[in-house]
Amino acid sequence: MDEFLQSLIRGLGTGSIYALLALGFVIIYKSTQVISFAQPAFMLAGAVLVSYLSPAVTFVGAVVVAAVVIAVLALGVERTVLRPMVGKPVFVVAIITIGVDVVVRVVTNAFIGLDVRQVGDPWGLNTVNFLGAEVQQRYLVMIATTAVVTAALFLFFRYSRIGLAMRAVAYDQEVALAQGVSVGSVFALSWALAGGLAALAGVFVATGAGVDQQLWIVALKALPAIIIGGLESLGGAVVGGLTVGVVESLFGTYQNDFAPWLGPNFGLVAPYALMLLVLLVRPYGLFGKKEVERL
Amino acid sequence: MKGPKTIKGRPELYTSYGQDMAFLNTRPKRVSVSGLVVIALLMPFMITDDLLQLLATGFVAAIGAIGLNIVTGYAGQVSLGHAFFLAIGAYTGAALSGSETGRVIGFGVTSLPIWLLASGLVAAFFGVLVAPVAVRLRGLYLAIVTLGLVFLGEHVFKEWTSLTGGPGIGRPAAVPELFGVRLDQSNSVFTAAQMLYLLMFVLLVIFGVLARNLVRSRVGRAFAAVRDRDLAASVIGVDLTRYKVLAFAVSSFYAGVAGALLFVVNGFFDPGSFNLLLSVQYIAMVLIGGAGTISGAIMGALFITLLPRITRELPTVLPFISGDATGVITVFQVEAVLYGVLIIVFLIVEPRGLFGIWVRVRNYWRTWPFSY
Amino acid sequence: MSGKRVAVIFVGALALASCRGSDGAAPQEGAGGIKVDVGVTSEACPNAVDKAKGCIYLGTISDLTEGPFKTLAVPITDSQKAFWKRVNDKGGIGGYEVDVTKYVKDNKYNPQIHNQVYQEIKGNVLALTQTLGSPTTAAILPDMKNTQMVAVPASWTSLWGFEDGVLESGANYCVESMNTVDYAVEKMGVKSVMAVHNAGDYGDDAAAGAKIAAEKRGLTFENVTTQAGQDNQGGAIDAVVSKKPDLVVLTTGPTDAAVIIGQAAARGFKGRFIGTSPTWNPGLLKSPAAPAIKALYMQSAPWKSWSTESVGHTAMRAALPGVTPNDGYTAGWVWAYPLKAALEKAAANKDLTRAGVLNAVKQLTSVDYEGMLPSGAGNFSASPQDALFRQSTLYQPDDASPTGVTLVEDFFTGSTAKDFKFEKPCYQ
Repeated sequence: MDEFLQSLIRGLGTGSIYALLALGFVIIYKSTQVISFAQPAFMLAGAVLVSYLSPAVTFVGAVVVAAVVIAVLALGVERTVLRPMVGKPVFVVAIITIGVDVVVRVVTNAFIGLDVRQVGDPWGLNTVNFLGAEVQQRYLVMIATTAVVTAALFLFFRYSRIGLAMRAVAYDQEVALAQGVSVGSVFALSWALAGGLAALAGVFVATGAGVDQQLWIVALKALPAIIIGGLESLGGAVVGGLTVGVVESLFGTYQNDFAPWLGPNFGLVAPYALMLLVLLVRPYGLFGKKEVERL
Repeated sequence: MKGPKTIKGRPELYTSYGQDMAFLNTRPKRVSVSGLVVIALLMPFMITDDLLQLLATGFVAAIGAIGLNIVTGYAGQVSLGHAFFLAIGAYTGAALSGSETGRVIGFGVTSLPIWLLASGLVAAFFGVLVAPVAVRLRGLYLAIVTLGLVFLGEHVFKEWTSLTGGPGIGRPAAVPELFGVRLDQSNSVFTAAQMLYLLMFVLLVIFGVLARNLVRSRVGRAFAAVRDRDLAASVIGVDLTRYKVLAFAVSSFYAGVAGALLFVVNGFFDPGSFNLLLSVQYIAMVLIGGAGTISGAIMGALFITLLPRITRELPTVLPFISGDATGVITVFQVEAVLYGVLIIVFLIVEPRGLFGIWVRVRNYWRTWPFSY
Repeated sequence: MSGKRVAVIFVGALALASCRGSDGAAPQEGAGGIKVDVGVTSEACPNAVDKAKGCIYLGTISDLTEGPFKTLAVPITDSQKAFWKRVNDKGGIGGYEVDVTKYVKDNKYNPQIHNQVYQEIKGNVLALTQTLGSPTTAAILPDMKNTQMVAVPASWTSLWGFEDGVLESGANYCVESMNTVDYAVEKMGVKSVMAVHNAGDYGDDAAAGAKIAAEKRGLTFENVTTQAGQDNQGGAIDAVVSKKPDLVVLTTGPTDAAVIIGQAAARGFKGRFIGTSPTWNPGLLKSPAAPAIKALYMQSAPWKSWSTESVGHTAMRAALPGVTPNDGYTAGWVWAYPLKAALEKAAANKDLTRAGVLNAVKQLTSVDYEGMLPSGAGNFSASPQDALFRQSTLYQPDDASPTGVTLVEDFFTGSTAKDFKFEKPCYQ
């Protein structure tokens, strides 16, 4: 039982990282209908920035500053590179975000240098007794942070004026425009939010062993997460992210005993298998919006 | 076929539907296409082997891109699973033609037409298997689900070491033998690069013409109808499932053929090659070339294949960049950044891709000197 | 199109056809009566010390921007620049100087790109002073054989022992892991071994060596493959924690290793970890996993680290002033010695052609590593079994050392490696 609980909490911990990333993807998707492949680069840039800042302004300060800086960077990218593409085919825009990813990532790599960089978080690998199982503090911190961030986002979209505007744009761009919503600033803001979330996720990934060039690969785990949850749903993104984390972790713990024929490391692709299963039953994900078809 | 007469001096006046839909329906097209073919056939005698190999790889990529264009550009189903089908083709071809005594599976059937066709058919078979799932999905869902295929396929190929050699170790690629001649070994007349270039070019022409004929047929029009408004298409009697499955099958066939050939120039490949990046590159080829055109797919494939070479040549004209591997800005970082920047700038300037640029140029000269 | 026009175009094109350059140059007489062909010019090198001397061009294909081994590749490349500059300062080779700066290419650790850049430069270089990675090098191996190109690999896979044109140095991963297991049996009394490794010849080779040694010693052996990526180590950690082996032979990237060691220790694992050299990065000593690493980790190495006192090490440190110490520099420097020896031998034979260099390699019975490897290392004339270098060293983490590790066991050959019959690459 201990083993199960530990595995579950590890899964929820990494899952909360995936959830943060998935939230970023979904926020951009909802407002612009584009999947941004630049998220991995923003995530890496956030972690690297924190590794430079945290000796100077403490870890928490560094995380806040980095999230803001990356948000501004993402906003800048949206203004300069993506804005001319409004109304253009979404897959063309998606390819452009890949170009953005390459550029940001190569520039960031230049700042990593030869040694693995450390983000300087206070938790290390310390464990704490949680419901009778030894679990690492950082996983609990990740889960808690993600919960707080998600709650804040929900409140923001529910009650704030600009959050309402973003929902209006997601619902119908043209009508929102006609009602006086500045669609441009909604686009910019959604990129900024996603950038900040990616930076936060990057820092969390790096708390275990540090930042190296390959950190960005983690962001790809958000793709099955958003599909399982449904592309249009913020709640779905969180559920999808946590699901992916837990599935991965449980497969890692138990698969060798129960299903060795799937091959070692099947846990890493299990989210994709799960995604296929979910879509067979619900073609728009668990919480996605079924498209109304009209002639 | 005895076509209707054209009126002298009015070459572009069509008097029948057949003329309008003909394979090369205008005189400038006929002239320019034959010109290009002549130039391409002379290339092997004019440029060096390294460029020939690159172009040969580009031609193979073009076959793959044409395949992706059929399902994505014509039938409107965005697939990020192309790398999976390329892998199926690559392993079918390599296994069939591989040595029977090697450390990986091989059957010793080195005749190119046999393994090429088999690669295409096996990939098409998998395409048909996958299609029913894909038929239920649209847009980004379809894109990411097909991406799931790539990840699952990668897992299988990495674990199945008796076929693939395993990641980081790999296996030899398919053996190109035509009429008893090994095309990947230089002989007294031609170098390997020259022969492979010509082989790939001929195959590209064959598969290009086949695809062009498919898309200007009834099937092609059905694809376009599905793409433009699938509900409307089904109302006027286009069987959606059937045509989507067909599109996937044809596209996967092309991918299988391209996959089998893709590593012949290199002679070696490992299962790590068939990842997300490869799929994305093919989508980029289709979009940069111009979705929904055969010539666009070819241009896009050549562009993406040649782009790294171009970025490697560019910094030599910018003297302020250091060739040092550790400087603040190294030439290699500039290359990598240029790759991204060129894609961005390119698509912002002309979202319709290379084909869009071509259309603009053509329209300018068509009405010259009265164009504005 | 009329037949006449076609004919005109065809003739014109044939005239152009003569522009196509050929890939191989005919052998010719160079300075001092030395026969030369590809990649050797009578003009001076771009940054020549002595403008009167000709130039030998060597190529470098490495992982310089986005790939996983950039942190090793960049110091290796820089170190080799310094190495050949020192050779030039000392008078060059046979009346020529050596250039390794003009043909440096980035492979992004991708076999296809590796082959493309190789094709670009192969007509201009005599040999390769670095070809990084094993799958990447495998992609150019057939062509290297055709063109008699000699190359220095930047990897330690046991495959290179069977390739004539590949100038490997030091113990390969396979032998290194055998020695690791032998050491652990004798000094730590381990009874069970688990190899946790990346798939591919790097990890597979080390795992194969560990397995051979474990079987010989009668230990239980467990094999776990893991993928790169910090979030992908869960399965490996679970395996380590549940099976509780006495020794884990680790062949992954540095951050992945830190995740595995740190998490396993946090979950109560008390066994030992021993990694190979690409598993280590000095930055890990500042990571959250550092206490666990210091307590549980050791690492094997094919040669001694940056701060060692030997003629070669001292020369290297002098040639690379002001760099952050990193054993990538050491590796690049050591790897360059056999090529230098081969070029000197070829120059002495008055034959600096591709064939001449390959011939010279086959005549090398030992290479002078200036004390960086023990005497007897660098035998390229004997059979793989006799030429195999079987000594390696062991290090442990240490904050005080510039590269984060300090020597525990000097060059030694374990009993497994001593008796090992080297007949094929270990991982096959």
